[in-house]
Amino acid sequence: MTLTRQTVLRLALAAALAPALPATTLAQQGDILIGATVPTTGPLSLTGKQYLNSLRMAEQDINAAGGIGGRKIRIVFEDTQASNSTAVNAFMKLAQETKPAFYFLSSYSTQNLAVAPELKKIGVPAMYAGGADVVAEQGNEWMFRIRPADSVAARGMVTAATTILNAKKPGILFIQNDFGQGGANVAAKQFEAAGTPVVGMEAYGQNDKDFSAQMLSLRAKGADVLVLFNYPQDGALLLRQAKMLDLKMPIVTSSAALVPAALQLLSPADLVNVWGVVDAYMDASVGDRMKDFVERYRKMFGTDADPYGLAYYDGALIMAEGMRKVGLDPKALRDWIAGLRDWPGIGHVYGFDAKGNGVRDLAVVKAKPGTKTLELVQTVKVD
Amino acid sequence: MRVRDSLLAAVAILAAGGLLSLGLADYSLRLLNLSVISAVAVIGFNVAFGLAGLISLGHAAFVGMGAYTLAILTTKLGWSPWLAAPVGVAVTTLFAALIGYPLLRLRGHYLALATLGLNVSFTIVTANWIALTNGTNGISGVPPFAVAGLAIDDERRFLWLGLVALAVVAAAAVALQRSRHGRAMMAVRDDETAARMSGIDVTRTKVAALCLSAAAAGLAGVLFATHVRFVAPEDFNYAHSIVYLAMLIVGGEGTVVGAVIGAALLTFLPEWLRGLGDAYLAFFGLMMLVILIFLPTGLIGLVRMAARLRFRRGAVATPRGAP
Amino acid sequence: MADFIQLCVNGLALGSVYALAAIGFVIVYAATGVVNFAAGQFVMLGTFAGVGMITQGALPLGLGYGAALAAMALFGVLFFVLVYLPLRKSPVVTIIIGTVAIGIVMQNAVLLSFGSWPFRLPSPLDGIMLQIGGAMITAHAVMVVAVTALLIGLIWLLFYRTALGIGMRAVAQDVEAARLMGLPVNRLLALSWVLAAMLAGIAGLLLGPMWFADVNMGDPIALKAFAATIIGGFGSLPGAIAGGLFVGLAELLGASYVSSAYKDLIAFGAMILFLLVRPQGVFGERIQDRG
Repeated sequence: MTLTRQTVLRLALAAALAPALPATTLAQQGDILIGATVPTTGPLSLTGKQYLNSLRMAEQDINAAGGIGGRKIRIVFEDTQASNSTAVNAFMKLAQETKPAFYFLSSYSTQNLAVAPELKKIGVPAMYAGGADVVAEQGNEWMFRIRPADSVAARGMVTAATTILNAKKPGILFIQNDFGQGGANVAAKQFEAAGTPVVGMEAYGQNDKDFSAQMLSLRAKGADVLVLFNYPQDGALLLRQAKMLDLKMPIVTSSAALVPAALQLLSPADLVNVWGVVDAYMDASVGDRMKDFVERYRKMFGTDADPYGLAYYDGALIMAEGMRKVGLDPKALRDWIAGLRDWPGIGHVYGFDAKGNGVRDLAVVKAKPGTKTLELVQTVKVD
Repeated sequence: MRVRDSLLAAVAILAAGGLLSLGLADYSLRLLNLSVISAVAVIGFNVAFGLAGLISLGHAAFVGMGAYTLAILTTKLGWSPWLAAPVGVAVTTLFAALIGYPLLRLRGHYLALATLGLNVSFTIVTANWIALTNGTNGISGVPPFAVAGLAIDDERRFLWLGLVALAVVAAAAVALQRSRHGRAMMAVRDDETAARMSGIDVTRTKVAALCLSAAAAGLAGVLFATHVRFVAPEDFNYAHSIVYLAMLIVGGEGTVVGAVIGAALLTFLPEWLRGLGDAYLAFFGLMMLVILIFLPTGLIGLVRMAARLRFRRGAVATPRGAP
Repeated sequence: MADFIQLCVNGLALGSVYALAAIGFVIVYAATGVVNFAAGQFVMLGTFAGVGMITQGALPLGLGYGAALAAMALFGVLFFVLVYLPLRKSPVVTIIIGTVAIGIVMQNAVLLSFGSWPFRLPSPLDGIMLQIGGAMITAHAVMVVAVTALLIGLIWLLFYRTALGIGMRAVAQDVEAARLMGLPVNRLLALSWVLAAMLAGIAGLLLGPMWFADVNMGDPIALKAFAATIIGGFGSLPGAIAGGLFVGLAELLGASYVSSAYKDLIAFGAMILFLLVRPQGVFGERIQDRG
């Protein structure tokens, strides 16, 4: 077939019309449909892929355990990209075409905020992992947070810096997004309250690649502990550049710099004098269920699991238990989750407060000398 | 003639959109609303680019300015959206006038990159002026418009509001295109020196074009803020400006219909392609490229070609009945 | 003082990367009049060509670099045939949007084939640190600056001392006249794209070890390269270099002495200011009446 203008036009027309046909439900009758909006393209896909994998694993495990009263669950994924608007599109596509009984939203707070009003209209329970406190402050009764809120994480980092490292003149370096800005401000207030106000706060852009100006300026201000709020890649780059600049003070980094995707970029030397405040300590030594999760994840996907993904796995198991206990009625399921106390997940003990926050504990970790293997220093519980 | 065409455009938009609103469900309605909002912005962009030849890659900043003004006035000062909306449009227009005088001495890609820089600067400022904009957390809880106590807070109701706005903007754009001012803009675009010789105040014409374009963008921003009811710096970064340009080029530069078609296509296309899984955005880029290569005048060219084809066939059937 | 030297050294290394990206952009613009919005993705592709050959293909460094650059040259040819040729008669803006579209394709194609995890690209000088006036710098960063300087020299020789380069410049100035003079216009245009792709490839290979390879690294680089081009003068090679170094230095010194939150306003503010005060940039535009 020669590619004339006309054939191309005809093809384009056909392509344009095809999706307008009513979408047929791919699921076999009887499957319980779950919607998940996660970023699988764009800059956030690094973390999004972990949620996708963990949820797939949870789906498999829940179905292997007999599903929900004999019915299988099926998770339908839609991409949010790195865009708030696309996140709402993805959510509404699911709401209209899949009509899920439950949702998993992404871990990006602005996407959560954009989707929140639509979720409220539909009235179906959802779990999300965005950290910004403002998401919960909105009081949307359908939303449940399965990760520590940013303020909790920030307080954990302050605790680590003041109690473990005995910081007297902390300096903060944060990524310029909702996570970094929010966390840095909470941390600064906490340091102030602890009687050790910060000597400096420096920001960097999400796409920055050189942090020497910020780090040197904090050193010049006499910071004795560096507290980092970062995402995975920039976190790894920060730790590496700190060593290149020969910074002597200890560094407290947030979870993201120590996820497998970031750790694989680092050498053991980059982790000397680095403390991480992570969502959950993930190591086979923690216990049977953690060992099982970590090992099976590696076998299934060829990469290591991270705490963010684990949160979604735990969340899916909470959902499944709720569905088994009270059925699919959204209101009943919501009430059951809201009343949940001391639910033993793999990563955390979950229990939801009035605002839907489910996690209040963190782990301080550190690499074993000369290796990249993390070991637990202590757990931090924030009330 | 001018009035008739404007009315025709407005009625066509209202009728087509109204018909669609009856049959569609929420997700498609949302995409339609996004298309309508983008179309308002792109029609504005067409005034600057299509008519006056100004490549402004800062259009998303204008949209953002309208959206942020409304969001700030309604959430922080408790204004009614009806009161905040005209202020949003006015602030955006004023801003365009202020930057217009110095910037519009630049031409072609210089103007394009200067306005791109402006857009980047806008994002930096909105992300860091926390006291005013809440920084990267954005502003949530923007109230919806309400008509006689009825909140326009679902997709179907919003579509009517959006369509009215689009119809007004489209009618105004058609009228402008046919007016003395529109012709002056086109004269400036085609040959600045000749335009100046024939007595046109080139600078003022350009600034006027930019201001009108910004006013439409500000209106689009106002609609955006009351539709999603959440604004964040990321919603108005420079990539969105490039998307507006792409919408106009894909639809058909220089025409109101092209602007509307382009806005709708580039909103719906990636969503339609979702079925392709992880590869859908790669396909989206490829399809855009194919359209550019095979339809150099945009989708509007397709419409024209179809019209010509029908006309030719009609002419064969009734050789003497040609109109 | 040591801190100031450190910032300058880092700023120059960062600026060299911007300059390299800007050169690829300028060569294409000067030769074809196309403002290549996919310039950043070209660099990203260069880094991933390196990842494919060296990290995944396990080729030794020298061979890996060669193979990656050959792949980039091939990409330049493909780009010329599949994107530029079909679009070359279109208005400039259509071509710009064409490069945006191809940028989306490139980014997502690489995401599909390499996944979203970042990679670490090795460098021949891994782990070597140098001390300059109390400032620490990696040997790799010094190499980046050196290679950039060398390339600039080579490009200058090509354009001003070889028949090929002079032919390319002739095509850049006036396609019709060049055709009438019997120059193989299409081949010379293709060569411009190949050259741009290979330069982007070198930039990509050089910055991979400094920044990690990541699918989304393209756009931020392109943005800074645009600013560099404007400040230096559109279409001017020395301008691209001066602009790149300026942007790199402004980024770091601005973050240090003004405000880290607003540091990018300095580069883009300078760009807008330059446009207003001296639109031809520091070195001026060589080719007029474009765009």
